[in-house]
Amino acid sequence: MFGYVRPAVDKLTEEDKERFAAVYCGLCHTLGNRYGFAARWILNYDFAFLAILLSDETACSCGCCRCVVHSFRPKKTACRTPALELAADESVILSWWQLQDGIADHGFWRGLKYRIARFFLKKAYRKARELRPAFDKSTQQHLAELSCLEKENCSSLDRPADAFAQLLSDAADSVPDAVKSRVLRQMLYHLGRWIYLVDAVDDLRQDAKEGAYNPVALRYGLPDGVLTEESRQALSVTLDQSIRVMAASYELYDFGLWSDIVQSVVYEGMYAVGHSVLAGTFRKRKRKKQADSV
Amino acid sequence: MNDPYKVLGVPSTATDEEVKKAYRDLARKYHPDNYHDNPLEDLAQEKMKVINEAYEEIRTQRKNGTSSGGYSANPYGNAAYGGNPFAGYGGYQTYGGNPAYQRIRQTINQGDLNLAEELLNAMSDHDAEWNFLKGAICNKRGWMDEAKRYFTTAVQMDPDNQEYQRALDMAEGRNEPFQPSGFGPFSTAACDNSGCLKYCCIWACCNALGGGGYWFCC
Repeated sequence: MFGYVRPAVDKLTEEDKERFAAVYCGLCHTLGNRYGFAARWILNYDFAFLAILLSDETACSCGCCRCVVHSFRPKKTACRTPALELAADESVILSWWQLQDGIADHGFWRGLKYRIARFFLKKAYRKARELRPAFDKSTQQHLAELSCLEKENCSSLDRPADAFAQLLSDAADSVPDAVKSRVLRQMLYHLGRWIYLVDAVDDLRQDAKEGAYNPVALRYGLPDGVLTEESRQALSVTLDQSIRVMAASYELYDFGLWSDIVQSVVYEGMYAVGHSVLAGTFRKRKRKKQADSV
Repeated sequence: MNDPYKVLGVPSTATDEEVKKAYRDLARKYHPDNYHDNPLEDLAQEKMKVINEAYEEIRTQRKNGTSSGGYSANPYGNAAYGGNPFAGYGGYQTYGGNPAYQRIRQTINQGDLNLAEELLNAMSDHDAEWNFLKGAICNKRGWMDEAKRYFTTAVQMDPDNQEYQRALDMAEGRNEPFQPSGFGPFSTAACDNSGCLKYCCIWACCNALGGGGYWFCC
């Protein structure tokens, strides 16, 4: 996954911001403790959001930890919980299969970075596969479906998005509460659909340059990878619909102390990110931000 | 039964106006329009029922008690939310054409989308109703883009049908979704740049690590 899910910060209280950051750090520590230092590099906001959705809604115990990034000032960090472990395991498995996909899609030189990353993630993946064999199997199966659709140059938006969405919604199976599990399945399905489509839009130009498969380009006939006003409108509508289903589903379960964070994601954050991806400014911001932080 | 004030999220000292407002807000949140073709529709109906009951109970309590007189009637009219106001696809009684469609509507209502699709695929006449039902199945699955295509075709074939038009309106996002207080009516297309783009820049430091995952994940 790719780090598109962001809460709208100006809608969060200091406490909520701190809690979100604690989950983010907690997930990073969980990845580190469970899978070694290399696995920490797969961390991103999407997985942190997944961890929040899976978390217990009544309690969040935090400790203070140091790490490479926060080596001087210890940071408030969520303690290891089954939800964080689940999110960590699933992120390792997902990242692994995405790397495999990257290797299959690219030639020797372009695929080199994927190969190097795979080398570092191999041990972690083996462990994660042992811990979550069912999730590994379904991920592999859905990504195989996805690559079939790519090979036949499928021009539907929904079919390839469905494969990715199904994959993500399988994470809901491990939730014992029946209502929460149903609500999460629906939320994760549309989260997956949204992430897949937003990522496809984000990759439009690069895919056009490389001649790679892109469902958005095929659906709206955009061979040069530039969105027309019409296609931008149509995409906005379809993205909005997934966000609205997520929001409506969110209202059916009490997410307790995570409510405000989830709410700020499904009522604003996703719209904002979608908007900046469609406007072509998302990557620029990211690069600028990385440059700032160095 | 739960404390009706707790259900509506107001203190028992709330004025009639405050109770009414809380009820209206909740009724808007769980309004069937927001759950149209959502597989969780039943959970929303359940919520709606609890809210209606709580509101009714407070009204009765206050009418009988000393707290207030002249309390206005349920502003939404209970009947509107009591049953399933959509009547699903099964409540499509007036359809005079092919009885096979009646059965498919029932199948969709029962949630057996695969069977409904099989039945549709076996039909050779792809008329307006056929396209509409195809769209409904897509919508329930979350295949919104395909659903919109089918609804468009259905409306083109039968422009006078209100039900098809309504489905298309929803598929094109022309209905007004619920927004909690404090959140503007956002959409991906029209997101105010100044207010909307303030997402998550506060963990710039973590990003050096977190963002690092980006280049090889994508």
